[in-house]
Amino acid sequence: MKKLLMLLLFLPLLLTASQKEYEIKILFAITDALFPNTKVVKVWTDTADNNLFLQDIKKIQTVNSMREADILFLTKKSDIQNDKMKFVTSYKLLKHYKKSAIAGFYWKKGRPNILFIKKNLLKYKKKLPNSMSKYIEDEL
Amino acid sequence: MKHLLKIYVTIFLFIIGSIVYLYFSIDNTQNKLSKNVSSLFITKAEEFAKNIKGKIENEVQSDIVTTLRQNTQLREKLETMLYAVTTDSYKYVYVLYKDKNGEYRYLLDGSTQDKGEFGEKLNVDSQQWDKVFTTQKSDLLVQDKLDSLWVTYLSPIVLKDKTEAILAIDFSPELPNNVKKALKPLKNIFIYIFISIFLILLLLLYQTILNIRTKKDSITDQLTEVYNRNYLRDLLKTININHYQIMMLDIDYFKKVNDSYGHKTGDYVLKNVASRIKKEIREQDILIRFGGEEFLLFIYNKGAITKQAYNIGERIKQGISDTKFLYDDNSIYITISIGISATPGHFKTITEAIKAADSMLYIAKTEGRNQVICDNQWDSKRSKNSENIFHIAEIKEAIEEDRLLCYYQPIFSAKSHAICKYEALVRLVDKEGKIVLPWRFIETILHTNIYIQMTKKILDIVFKNIAKHKVEISVNLNFSDILNQDTFALIISELEENTELASWLTIELLEYEVLEAGESFTKNINQIRAYGVKIAIDDFGTGFANYTVFHTLPIDIIKIDGSLIKNIDTSEVSKKIVKSLLLLMQELEIETVAEFVHSQEVLDIVTDLGATYLQGFHLAEPMPDLLKI
Repeated sequence: MKKLLMLLLFLPLLLTASQKEYEIKILFAITDALFPNTKVVKVWTDTADNNLFLQDIKKIQTVNSMREADILFLTKKSDIQNDKMKFVTSYKLLKHYKKSAIAGFYWKKGRPNILFIKKNLLKYKKKLPNSMSKYIEDEL
Repeated sequence: MKHLLKIYVTIFLFIIGSIVYLYFSIDNTQNKLSKNVSSLFITKAEEFAKNIKGKIENEVQSDIVTTLRQNTQLREKLETMLYAVTTDSYKYVYVLYKDKNGEYRYLLDGSTQDKGEFGEKLNVDSQQWDKVFTTQKSDLLVQDKLDSLWVTYLSPIVLKDKTEAILAIDFSPELPNNVKKALKPLKNIFIYIFISIFLILLLLLYQTILNIRTKKDSITDQLTEVYNRNYLRDLLKTININHYQIMMLDIDYFKKVNDSYGHKTGDYVLKNVASRIKKEIREQDILIRFGGEEFLLFIYNKGAITKQAYNIGERIKQGISDTKFLYDDNSIYITISIGISATPGHFKTITEAIKAADSMLYIAKTEGRNQVICDNQWDSKRSKNSENIFHIAEIKEAIEEDRLLCYYQPIFSAKSHAICKYEALVRLVDKEGKIVLPWRFIETILHTNIYIQMTKKILDIVFKNIAKHKVEISVNLNFSDILNQDTFALIISELEENTELASWLTIELLEYEVLEAGESFTKNINQIRAYGVKIAIDDFGTGFANYTVFHTLPIDIIKIDGSLIKNIDTSEVSKKIVKSLLLLMQELEIETVAEFVHSQEVLDIVTDLGATYLQGFHLAEPMPDLLKI
């Protein structure tokens, strides 16, 4: 009885958790596709709130310095000028960082969207597994 | 009680079932309502799609992708039109085209937020979209994998028989949610009612269980866990005695177990005996702890199998005598005596039937214990021994019809040879008017209430004669009559009614039973003597003669057994025994009566030996009236 009550109380939290887990799984799949042979991928993000979220993803270790990072996780427009590989969270950011953005994951019309930019994959010498090839865009 | 529990459980299950049914009925209603509402919105969406497609077809004649890529103004115009359709219910309205790689990309988007750019890829369920693209037929796509969407209405835009793009209208999940919200208060009311009913039912169930448990405790013997006398009291009101045989069981020499091993051992034995009995009976049989070590068992016997109770009784008896009761390293072997009333329906009341079973138990005890005595077998056994034995019903009838009377045999003074007193001897008159001697009926009614009725009649007759003639008269009673509560209460009641005459009465106690003058026996005798009644022991000197009774019992007279007197003129041994007895009684200052004086020789001898009183056919035979003193 007690267990049932606890389950009812925490069911909304569990449902929220499932959405979050879904995103974690996708981001891990993308990270693993980009860094198949790297045990720990160092990630820098422009939003401090993302740190906790990113730490839940296997292989990812958040860092405070862009220089240390293997990839930048960007959620907003800024004037970052470096040529570090970038991962973004919207189509607009993909366009904004089109020279260095290698991939993007974002929700559009309630649907999850994954995009890899072919030109930048070549630039950073990244080869994706076949299962990911359908997400590759020639140009934006 | 089992039926009551079944009714409660049925009602409880019925209400729970109804609650579950109603709850799911609401769900069903909600689904139907959602369906109806959504079909309304779908119809509306179909109309919108038709209008939009009509306007696009007006603006674009062919190759919609190239036209709109080149004509930004037209794109904006059409997107404004899509925007006009967008509402809270129609969350997104947009047009996608299929590129050469089979990917779907934005052509037009009427959304203001989350707007897709021309040519931007959108991750959609390609299989469903391809179906619409190929078949050129509209379809409704249920978005069960996406939380933020409910359904998507897809409609192909066909120009010159070629599918150029697909118009999509995403329905907001708020629509079904609103239906749910609208119905929620109703559902909540039902849920609260259901919860309240459920809680009340639980409370009632709990209360019922408590009641049943309390009731069960009140009717269950805590030690043996069988029914107690409270249960018997209720049972007697409802039981159909024709469907049962009655068995009375008593552990033999149980007092010795308590005295020798202690009460804890006694309790252990009682508990295990009850458990052993339970093993031998069926669910429909009823076992009751009737008293200390006494059990009453109702054997269900609707099929009227005469020997059923007897067979069960034999099994119980055998089972218990074969069991070794182990307690505190003591091995205890016990036996049980059983009395059975095989046809309780023949008795007027169930109490009489129980008494009959008790009488059979008594016989089982007096016949040597560890045996089963069934009344029908006992009666037939007696019938075989003597066909002259009266049946219990005949005796009862005779008493009720006042065919009971007393004969009186005078008792003479040994010194003066004058009549001093009389012994009242009971007789029945049969239907033909013949006098019936007591040996033909007394044993049959012993330990029954008929015996008590008879005792009352005799005492009434005797007291009437005492009142009339002012003579001493003795009556015969058994030792067990003094211990039996009912008989003793009757004697006291008669003495109370005849206080002034009580001192003329002598009670002769028959010594065919073991004389064990216990505390209560002595107490009762003293109570009787307090009215001035004399106590005599009949037939003393043979059988169960026990001299220790003189220590505790206040005895006034002993009557020397007739078998010693009748041969006294020919047997030296009898003479010596009688002489010794008379000397002893003189020492104890107890008067003596020599019975069976059947000749002048016997009369001379017992007079010489010093008997106080004389009685016998030589002096006077029993007569229906008192001889004048």
